[in-house]
Amino acid sequence: MPNSKKLIIDGAESSNIWHFVDDETPLAEAPAIISLARLQDEGAELVAAGKKLGVILRAGEKQGEDVHALKPFLDNLAVVAIEFPVYRNGRGYSTARILREQMGFRGEIRAVGEVLFDQWQFMHRCGINAFEVDADVSLEAFNEAMDELSAAYQPAADPQRGILWRRHN
Amino acid sequence: MYRYDEFDHQLVAERVEQFRGQVERRVSGELSEDAFKPLRLMNGVYLQLHAYMLRVAIPYGTLSSRQLRKLAHIAREYDRGYGHFTTRQNIQYNWPALARIPDLLAELAEVEMHAIQTSGNCIRNVTSDQYAGAIADEIEDPRIISEIIRQWSTFHPEFSYLPRKFKIAVTGHAHDRAAIKLHDIGIVIVRNEAGEIGYEVHVGGGQGRTPFIAKKLAEFVPKDKLLAYLEAVMRVYNMLGRRDNSYKARIKILVHETGEEEMRKLVEAEFAQIDASKMLEVPQAEIDRITRYFEPPAFETLPAESAAFNKAQADDAGFAQWCRTNVVAHRQLGYSIVNISLKPIGGVPGDATDVQMEAIAELAEAYSFDELRVTHEQNLVLPHIRLDDLKAVYDRLVTHELATPNLGLISDAIACPGLDYCNLANARSIPLAQEISNRFADLDRQYDIGELKIKISGCINACGHHHVGHIGILGVDKKGTEFYQISLGGSADEHASLGDITGRAFTEDTIVDAIETLVETYVGLRHADERFIETYRRVGLTPFKERLYAE
Ligand code: HEM
Ligand code: SF4
Repeated sequence: MPNSKKLIIDGAESSNIWHFVDDETPLAEAPAIISLARLQDEGAELVAAGKKLGVILRAGEKQGEDVHALKPFLDNLAVVAIEFPVYRNGRGYSTARILREQMGFRGEIRAVGEVLFDQWQFMHRCGINAFEVDADVSLEAFNEAMDELSAAYQPAADPQRGILWRRHN
Repeated sequence: MYRYDEFDHQLVAERVEQFRGQVERRVSGELSEDAFKPLRLMNGVYLQLHAYMLRVAIPYGTLSSRQLRKLAHIAREYDRGYGHFTTRQNIQYNWPALARIPDLLAELAEVEMHAIQTSGNCIRNVTSDQYAGAIADEIEDPRIISEIIRQWSTFHPEFSYLPRKFKIAVTGHAHDRAAIKLHDIGIVIVRNEAGEIGYEVHVGGGQGRTPFIAKKLAEFVPKDKLLAYLEAVMRVYNMLGRRDNSYKARIKILVHETGEEEMRKLVEAEFAQIDASKMLEVPQAEIDRITRYFEPPAFETLPAESAAFNKAQADDAGFAQWCRTNVVAHRQLGYSIVNISLKPIGGVPGDATDVQMEAIAELAEAYSFDELRVTHEQNLVLPHIRLDDLKAVYDRLVTHELATPNLGLISDAIACPGLDYCNLANARSIPLAQEISNRFADLDRQYDIGELKIKISGCINACGHHHVGHIGILGVDKKGTEFYQISLGGSADEHASLGDITGRAFTEDTIVDAIETLVETYVGLRHADERFIETYRRVGLTPFKERLYAE
């Protein structure tokens, strides 16, 4: 999989130094994105060892993992990856907004999984700033998609003001 | 009515261009049908049995004559000369060619219309009371908040990929004509003891295979807090709604499985978070701006009685009858609300031809301050007609076969597209509605029977609202043949109830007789002036069942 994907962070192509590490593999020096379960098990230890952490919230069979579980670790998290298993599972949009707006997370929120053309702009509005997209997506196409709708009616996690508000300065 | 400003125009135009690109990529083969599907659904394009179908949004059912003329033009130029008005106050075209849909949408955009969010798992077109702004005793015109909800929910970045579709309905009147308790969110505009206007919010109603009446989650949400409250409901649903089984994905299932009390707590906790940010409080200046679009038109000061109207009724019994069934009192003296039945005897419920649409547009322009409404019972409304003009309006409607005096009667049935169009259907709906209409064609008999709402769905998805029909008919499949199950006692108004299934289903050949048996049973049991639903509620299922299944 790694070769078929590319990472776009804040509108620029980025080399991915954060890698997913499964629960069985011991953590090496390189920055790692681990599961929520592992974070909950080993998080305190890793923090004590001075590590910056990344975590992935999985979509799950029936119910996705709960973003509120990240609360104790927020200060030591650099990356939160949110899994979008299929384009039509839009739970991660709410996860991202809660993380940005209610939990005040300032680090990287990365969309992984089925992350397609027509979702990028909405994901971005919900506070996602990193996108793991198919390798054949050009940066140009990505940025074009980001601008497809020039305005929005409602406020979200981005600085854009809703039209309902903009009409009156 | 609401008019687009430059923002509205721009966004709709951008969306048309976006979809044009997507259609081009599909036609060239760059996009597979699979990848194209969510994109076309976002734009109201369904794949039906025989062709693509396009569903055009009519926000809260309000249309201008210019818009209706455009819909007529589209029926003629892009379809086969007719359109189908639906139970969602929308219009559907059954035969557009995919490659031409972007042009069709560009034409709609010229008259401030679109097909955005008429399908897909997003917040759908908001529906409302078709008599808004015309009926007496309204607390507030529900179109004001409906328009604000329309804007807030359009291209909502967080709620465009919900577990399932999401429907919001609003009423500003104690008598509910918008079936709000059968929607994912139903809003009733209310006034509290301090005289302030706010919103009662009902959540988790719905039809489909597991029907539920919505639960009242909030008694009174203050005006400036409604969007925050709605966003809280939506977020709780988006986070907790089931995605493992599409039959269990609607918010009604979440409310049912979570329990009303717990659901209320979850929503209130989320609401507290959103409310604290104040970010969803719409500026008063914007509310005022939108309100101005819905101010009453320039009504003339008229006497309560019209001599011309009284004389016309005395002279023309057909006109008098039509006035009794299809004309409703208006809030303004000397005016009336006219219902145009799209249920001619033996016709297809909800269909209108291009010529009929143009004729209605002309009437709206000449007599109704340029305004029209679509009802969820698949009829049209001219909301503001002077009593003095009723006869002229009636005569024009008669010419176009639009004056069937059957509003609320047995031949004014709702029917889903059914097996004639829909690939999910078990049975035909439209031909059955036609047969029932023909069986009861005698208008005098219909008047004697009185108000009786028949609702027909071709399968358990309940697009034809059978659960809430006084008599509901559901197409079921038995070894490849069409059968119909009957339920009784459903209702979609403020006293919403779900129908009781009578028992064994009927065949195509016996279903109309069965309906007749039910009607006769009612006529035999009713007390003076008692409507079918009232008799049913008094006597219950048993006497009907006994007659229905008597050997
Ligand atoms: C012909 C293509 C159509 C298809 C494939 C279709 C499909 C469906 C499905 C699958 C459901 C169940 C959704 C659920 O319970 O989650 C449903 C419900 C519904 N549909 Fe349709 N439908 C079609 C046409 C229509 C039309 C023409 C109307 C309006 C006249 C309509 C109005 C509704 C309504 C009101 C409901 C039930 C209310 C609710 O949302 O709970 N549908 N439809
Ligand atoms: S009720 Fe069933 S048959 Fe009728 S339109 Fe809906 S899905 Fe099709």
